[in-house]
Amino acid sequence: MNISPEEVRAEVRKFWDFFSRKSKAQFAEMYLPSATVFAVDSRRIELARLMLVRRERELFSPASSVAAKLGPVDVQLLAPDLAVASYPFHLSITRALPGGKSYYAEVPSGRATQVFQRHAIGVVRILHEHMSSAEPVTVKELPATGSPAPAPRL
Amino acid sequence: MLSYGEFMENLSAEDVRREIHRFWAIFSGKLTDRIEEMYSPTALAFTGKAKRSESAKLIAVRRSRRLQGGMSSSSVDEGSIDVQIVGPNVAIAAYTYTYRTDKARADGTKEQLETLFGRATQIFQRDEAGVLRIVHEHLSATANPDVKKPTG
Repeated sequence: MNISPEEVRAEVRKFWDFFSRKSKAQFAEMYLPSATVFAVDSRRIELARLMLVRRERELFSPASSVAAKLGPVDVQLLAPDLAVASYPFHLSITRALPGGKSYYAEVPSGRATQVFQRHAIGVVRILHEHMSSAEPVTVKELPATGSPAPAPRL
Repeated sequence: MLSYGEFMENLSAEDVRREIHRFWAIFSGKLTDRIEEMYSPTALAFTGKAKRSESAKLIAVRRSRRLQGGMSSSSVDEGSIDVQIVGPNVAIAAYTYTYRTDKARADGTKEQLETLFGRATQIFQRDEAGVLRIVHEHLSATANPDVKKPTG
């Protein structure tokens, strides 16, 4: 079955739904094991599986929260099984650290490129992701209740 | 009669890297080819401080005008280029880069802009004539360009 723009937009919505609900397993399943990622604030490309470990540790804890608003999703169909989604987003993240400190990060003008491919079993997965911010990302420390800890990465 | 896919050689990572080197050679003024011709007519791009994706062709035309304008010199250092071949005619390239440019100001002085932590995703696809073109581009940086004081 050919990949369609509606299917890609549904995958994008699923991606942010799993992210904001902290559905670790479902979120991880959206990526191919070999997928590569540029996170919003990362200076290097990394394998999705490494990014997933970091996001799980830093953003999927019970006291952390992620909220996103998406803009219109452009879809480019490159092959029957391959599509590129690109869209703006607004992201707010609260990260509560084990030591008691919390940080609030806001990405007001986020930009996402996600390349999706359908695989033999029919499932659509992310092959590559590039997220960036058109404006500086603001990170604020919330009232402290414990020992110092590093600021969150997105 | 052979179909398009049968006579075309498989796309290789080296083909893609060659195009990326050509892209930056044009971008930094070392080649006079037209940068807009590197893009598919329907290509989309995220670049600079733009909040939305735009027609890559339009961005390329603006770049061409800037290249023909006051820029005196620029240079690019590309990091290692990761290439995923994702079909007979499509490849995803992802890499980091450092870009420096000396810009001539209206008062005759020059200022140097340095993008230290540039990140690029460029998706290439062969068109019907077999020419490799960029169909999607996302250029970003994790820090604003470093601007050095004007020199006379």
